[in-house]
Amino acid sequence: MSQDKDKTGAVTTTGHRWDDTLEEFSNPLPRWWVWTFYLSAIFTVVYWLFYPAWPVGNTYTIGIPGWNSINYTATQPDGKEVQKSTHWNMRALLAKDMNDLHAKQKQYFDKVAALPYEKVAQDAELMQFVNSAGKTLFSDNCKPCHQAGGQGKITFAPNLIDDSWMYGGSYEKIHQTLTGGRRGFMPAFKEVLSDAQITQLANYVLSLSGDLHDAKAAKAGDALFHGETAACYFCHGADGKGKVEMGSANLADKIWLWVNIPEDKTVESKVADVKNVINAGLNRGVMPNWDTRLKPEQIKLLTVYVHDSLGGGK
Amino acid sequence: MATSSIAFSEQYNYDVIRKFTIMAMVWAAVGMLVGVYIASELAFPILNFDIPYITFGRLRPVHTGAVIFGFGGSALFATSYYIVQRTCQARLFGGVKAANFTFWGWQSIIVLAALGDVLGYSQGWEYAEMEWPIDLLIAVVWVVYGVIFIGTIMKRKEPHIYVANWFYMAFILATALLHIFHNLVIPVSLTKSYPLFAGVQDAMMQWWYGHNAVGFFLTAAFLGMMYYFVPKQAGRPVYSYRLSVVHFWAISFLYMWAGTHHLHWTAIPDWTSTLAATFSIMLLLPSWGGMINGIMTLSGAWDKLRTDPIMRFLIVALSFYGMSTFEGPMMSLKDVNALSHYTDWTVGHVHSGALGWVAMISFGSLYHMIPRLWNTTVYNEKLINVHFWLATIGILLYIVSMWISGIMQGLMWRAFDDFGNLQYSFAESVAAMHPYYAMRALGGAFFLTGMLVMCYNMTKTIRKSTAVAIGSAAVPA
Repeated sequence: MSQDKDKTGAVTTTGHRWDDTLEEFSNPLPRWWVWTFYLSAIFTVVYWLFYPAWPVGNTYTIGIPGWNSINYTATQPDGKEVQKSTHWNMRALLAKDMNDLHAKQKQYFDKVAALPYEKVAQDAELMQFVNSAGKTLFSDNCKPCHQAGGQGKITFAPNLIDDSWMYGGSYEKIHQTLTGGRRGFMPAFKEVLSDAQITQLANYVLSLSGDLHDAKAAKAGDALFHGETAACYFCHGADGKGKVEMGSANLADKIWLWVNIPEDKTVESKVADVKNVINAGLNRGVMPNWDTRLKPEQIKLLTVYVHDSLGGGK
Repeated sequence: MATSSIAFSEQYNYDVIRKFTIMAMVWAAVGMLVGVYIASELAFPILNFDIPYITFGRLRPVHTGAVIFGFGGSALFATSYYIVQRTCQARLFGGVKAANFTFWGWQSIIVLAALGDVLGYSQGWEYAEMEWPIDLLIAVVWVVYGVIFIGTIMKRKEPHIYVANWFYMAFILATALLHIFHNLVIPVSLTKSYPLFAGVQDAMMQWWYGHNAVGFFLTAAFLGMMYYFVPKQAGRPVYSYRLSVVHFWAISFLYMWAGTHHLHWTAIPDWTSTLAATFSIMLLLPSWGGMINGIMTLSGAWDKLRTDPIMRFLIVALSFYGMSTFEGPMMSLKDVNALSHYTDWTVGHVHSGALGWVAMISFGSLYHMIPRLWNTTVYNEKLINVHFWLATIGILLYIVSMWISGIMQGLMWRAFDDFGNLQYSFAESVAAMHPYYAMRALGGAFFLTGMLVMCYNMTKTIRKSTAVAIGSAAVPA
């Protein structure tokens, strides 16, 4: 590297000195540095020729026309498709990318939309597509509540891979759930019944699934359950198995959603948990409607995915 | 040359520098500890303990505030006061009271900002979370700082202004400009305000501020530090005066254009994003000017790298500076950014600058300055070397893990299968990050451990000094 040198060959400084020892050599700019800097400026100007770059009045430069064009198909408001060519811009690039992907997906989505559910499920090739699209659709939309494999989470969201369906597990029912959403509701009985009565009911409810309970209290609870004061049978059915039309819970199986009864080890804690539900009621079982977020063919595909790939709906 | 440090401490106001130096180390330890904790939260979310005050969202600004403004800011106050007095042969303008006001003012700002973050008071701007009353306090402290610094330069006894001081001046002026214009808000209560700008304009103001905070606070100012401590520690003249002039003005001119590259691929006009990308590219060589000048200053004295651990800190800092100022312009190109944007690559890039450059150059400078401020010698030279290696290993773990996880995220998000469906769900990319998040937390822990070694070593060093007690007036020799 070239350096300013005096007659003796030593590099000279600028002659200033600070704080006893600080000096500066008067070396020139390194030549490679200067040329690389010029190169970056040339790169910059070339970049400007390919992209929108400088504002001019109300508009902006678009680079050299034709150097970096984006050709894509745009759908007009009347539904007609037109070929467009434009200078590079983010919107057109997005439209082009989305068009390309939708073109790949279209034949499969069309098939899913046209065929009855059972036919889709029987078509092995189509099911590959359902699993591919369904995995991402499920993960990005359903997974936050129903968990990665659809196994749900006790006290939070129902399991989708067992055979128990609160609102029904047929294709049609699942489709209805996805489209319109669901809202579970159970009234609070704290004001209606005495604490003793609620304890009796809780014991009866536990007896329905053969869980730990006090037989005497359960017997009294049986009468309350089927009587007109509490009238639990009205929603949960005389057999306690729930009603799919209204999404009331089946109390006779061992599946619990809102309280973790299997986790409770003693009869006291089980009764206390069930009592909490009867006392306060439930207003948490909200599934949003997806018809405003997903397209009809996506909802149909998800229906098949939940029914056949997650293993529910039998 | 017949001057000893005792004489210096009579000649100059060292007291305020000592205070800022101690707080720089305290904030570094606090800020890095919080950083390691939130990095661990990302790897092991159970560490949130369902306590709102310690969730990532609230502790993250505590971390950035403590390391950038607490550690970085205090280190800059300390070194700028040290350098400006010694290179101007003049005591700080405005007397002891003004200097102490900047100290107490700045420290209360850091504490108030952290409290605000934890309690949930935030303007919602990255690196500018502080609500308007704190912003006003910052503005006042900063103006006093500017008056002290420029006043000291004006009463200098040297004919010329040393290069380090230009960089500090650019930093002080630009920070005032950025802080005031970015924080134009309409207060509705003591703890709430609404920004003057909305939508795209607000976003562009935010990154004009955010990027130039990196440019002038974390780059220009620390270059000022470099221009004093590298030649001082090397005992050699700065490589090229001309290069320092050219790259100073080039940086000052070019940096202000580049902020919008933080908003690539968002709802901004395309031309703004192109201009930001190209000015970032042109910024590469001016940034490298500082690296060349620093490293070439050592040419002819390379052996010092083997024998002098402080020199190692300074030179490795310059190397990381060169690397991250190369990486930055590359990431600002539209096509590279399409892969890197919103990924951990950005986080890694920031930390190669923040840990590799800002922290390392500060460590080197503080190690040089502390024995001189307290008129003593370093308690244990070997511990400086231990700190150096812990810090270097920590940085490497950090940025390598973030490179891998960032590029992996970018590739997973854009992967499509043959059907045209996204190949991975977002949650799958989150799950894939886990090992790298754990590795990053480990890297942070290395860096923090190094910092604690420094705190121990420097506490012992300061204790050793009997000549000067902390906070006291200069003691006659």
